Amino acid sequence: MAPALRDLQKAFAAQLLGSGITIDTALPVAGDSISAAARLRVHRHHVLTSLSKALAGTYVTVERLVGEDYFKGLARSFITNELPEGPVLAEYGAAFPAFLERHPVVGQLPYLPDVARLDWALNMAFYSPTGSRLTRDHLARIPVDDLPLQCIELAAGTTLICSAYPLDRIWAATQPDAAEEPVDIGAAGVRLLVFRRPDDAGFVVLEEGEAALVAALHSSSTLEQAAVAATAANPDFDLSTAFSRVLGLGVLLHCSKDGSVTG
Amino acid sequence: MSTGRMAIAAALAAALALPATAQAQGSMEKCFGVAKAGKNDCQTDHSSCAGTSKTDGQTDAWISVPKGVCQKIVGGKLTSS
Amino acid sequence: MRAVAGIGLRAQHLDQVVRERPAIGFLEIHAENYLLPSPALASVENLRVDYPFSIHAVGLSLGSAEGLDEHHLERVATLVRRLQPNLVSDHLSWSVVGGRYLNDLLPLPYTEEALDVVARNVDRVQSALGRQLSIENPSCYLAFAHSTLSEPEFLAELARRTGCGLLLDANNVHVTAHNLRLDPNAWLETLPGAAITQYHLAGYAVNDADGEPILIDDHGSPVREAVWSLFGRMLHRFGPRPTLIEWDTDIPGLPVLLAEAAQAQAVLRQGEERGARAA
Repeated sequence: MAPALRDLQKAFAAQLLGSGITIDTALPVAGDSISAAARLRVHRHHVLTSLSKALAGTYVTVERLVGEDYFKGLARSFITNELPEGPVLAEYGAAFPAFLERHPVVGQLPYLPDVARLDWALNMAFYSPTGSRLTRDHLARIPVDDLPLQCIELAAGTTLICSAYPLDRIWAATQPDAAEEPVDIGAAGVRLLVFRRPDDAGFVVLEEGEAALVAALHSSSTLEQAAVAATAANPDFDLSTAFSRVLGLGVLLHCSKDGSVTG
Repeated sequence: MSTGRMAIAAALAAALALPATAQAQGSMEKCFGVAKAGKNDCQTDHSSCAGTSKTDGQTDAWISVPKGVCQKIVGGKLTSS
Repeated sequence: MRAVAGIGLRAQHLDQVVRERPAIGFLEIHAENYLLPSPALASVENLRVDYPFSIHAVGLSLGSAEGLDEHHLERVATLVRRLQPNLVSDHLSWSVVGGRYLNDLLPLPYTEEALDVVARNVDRVQSALGRQLSIENPSCYLAFAHSTLSEPEFLAELARRTGCGLLLDANNVHVTAHNLRLDPNAWLETLPGAAITQYHLAGYAVNDADGEPILIDDHGSPVREAVWSLFGRMLHRFGPRPTLIEWDTDIPGLPVLLAEAAQAQAVLRQGEERGARAA
């Protein structure tokens, strides 16, 4: 009795992701001098390899740190537990940093999950819209007394990453033109701001006050609320220099009156 | 810093008057970019309809030890957790 | 319109193509790489001003018994509206089961049930896009024992029922014929020429399976001699169509792709001239 297509497809998926190819009557694959198992293995190999490559393409820095072969092992473990929800592979792998947190590799490379968060943030920033950003000129046209009331948002794809490790130096060490000196993970941690730029994505290192302002903008709506929250978190916070820098990075948007966001 | 509205307004106005610095503190790191064709640029073509050919010696055994740039990342500190 | 040759537009060539604007008949992109905003999408929109585009989807999963991912379909439809391509295509295969995506073009049994499923999904896509979808013949590594139709019969009936186009990939015909022990010429005989909208040409690799050669459609090398011959027979039988050079693995420099496209263009011209003389 021929299997229903739905059952055949479930059985096929199980062969691709299980521990190996097995005989399954719900999957009547014809075999000749090349066995059914060998034929199924072609698909099994492709699914695992291509998804592993997709993860490596997103988690570039993680792969450079652990090497290609070790990364394939991490990827394979991740993939068999979690397949993509859709065919847009740029959206695949959000749970990889959390997966690394639970993985034994973190005993040897405790900074690895943070590196993965950076890779993911750069990925998200790359796939974010550009559009006009808030500038000094925009704000200069507003009466000074109204400045605190301005509704301000962070542009889509802007992420603040606070790490106990020198993440920027770890990242720099993986670049093709990197210096040979070792990076000491005992050095001070950093706060990085990751964001979309016109032609790519990038990040900068923020001062504590700047990071406090960005964090406050994430959950406030007006500049006044953000300034109050940042000061509460960081009493030495200097609003002028912090705001000047964050504004200059081009990551801010003006909310318009109807709630939609404009630059 | 005073968090009264007038103080905030003054600080924001002062911010607008500051010269736009070329990120004097912290580095602007370039990562992605279609401009870096062929130079370890980040892969953006995840999807294709190509199959995967097995390369020579490819087995299903993955190595158990990380062996990349992590060898340059040294030292450590007492973890608080 | 004269049939022209095109190339697959790959991320590593984007910047160069934007700068140099090479002479090429059309550019093809994989839809799923361009469904999110990005600098790459901005470059593609820039190029669309100067080049016709073909959109080749890989993730519609037309053979899924559980039906289509409507969210994905909507995003593809948005891209199609934005780019106004000459052609939109996907594959005779499936990739989704249980709402999860397997990132491979998985094979279908060629049964009446599968035909109903694919036809229903193709109807839905054409309705959502408001235009014809072309279906590519797959590269097969296995066949199901309970298939009742041949692959060309399946494609012909699908085109008849839905009005879809057929994207005829010469490399896939060659790979399938080898792996399933079929005669590629007999395979071509049953195909309805009028439904064919585009040709694809690509390279394949030879792997070992149980001590025997199995061909893998890896799009990772120049078009092989046997595939150029098959292409010639296709032109003779069905006539010229826009023809794409597809290279997705070990991608060479742009000049190599353009040279292969020029070769395809020359073969198309010869075919047209022969056809004109015969008429």
